[in-house]
Amino acid sequence: MNPKNANSAAKNNESTAELIEDKKKFMALIDRAQDGDEEALPALRKVLDEEPRIARVVDLARDVERSIVKRMSGDDVFAQEAIPRNLKTMRREIAGENPSPIERLLAERITVCWLELQYFQAIYAQNLDKLTITQSDYHQRRIDKAHRRYLSSIKALAQIRKMGPAVQINIAEKQINTAG
Amino acid sequence: MGWESRQRGGLYYTRSRKENGRVVREYIGSGVLGQIAALEDEHERRQREEQAAYWKEEQQDLDALEGSVVELSEASDLLVRAVLLTSGYRQHNRGEWRLRREPKERQ
Repeated sequence: MNPKNANSAAKNNESTAELIEDKKKFMALIDRAQDGDEEALPALRKVLDEEPRIARVVDLARDVERSIVKRMSGDDVFAQEAIPRNLKTMRREIAGENPSPIERLLAERITVCWLELQYFQAIYAQNLDKLTITQSDYHQRRIDKAHRRYLSSIKALAQIRKMGPAVQINIAEKQINTAG
Repeated sequence: MGWESRQRGGLYYTRSRKENGRVVREYIGSGVLGQIAALEDEHERRQREEQAAYWKEEQQDLDALEGSVVELSEASDLLVRAVLLTSGYRQHNRGEWRLRREPKERQ
């Protein structure tokens, strides 16, 4: 490995380690708040306000979406253009008018989970005649899990909407840096 | 599957397969016939290996993709929990979210 690559790999490892550490702290804070620790709430609010967490997860959602679209469309330039357009429309419809940042994020998640499910189902359908029983079973399990994730994503958005506007406006709008 | 040497000399090509749980050996022949069968079997074996390698690679790619969707789902679930908690809700027995009751002020 040349020194440049070694540096880059070390940097990546460092940032992954930082992210894991950060996630651990965030989870610990959530657990403390869940257990009724009143002091954890202001700290949790501060973390939500100060760091662009939602934007980071939205970016992750977009990356995953791009990666699935790339695999699905292959060399088909029409599909490369059409699928993201359809997803954009879908995202807007799910998010509704004037969505809060958390609603936008959940609309992204639903879209990605839907796309993942479509992709796994398409692969399975295309290869149905070539698969052994074991391979078919493996694909079916993957589809089942994707389906559960899709349903959970819908449930999460429904939950936030059920709680009403008090929850939806809780996070500063500045945290979202992507539109549509 | 393979070449067997005979006591009286020469090589004989055989194939083994399972029938009703028992291994059955099929004697193909020696000379050109055996060589053709051996080449056919070799070709099929390579095809199976290539198919298996392709399947393995495909599974690894799909696993990675699935992993990133799982990561996204977990991260957004954490944020939903954080938002609900900071909005005054509390999860009841890891199930339903309910509005937290404010402690009554002392008179």
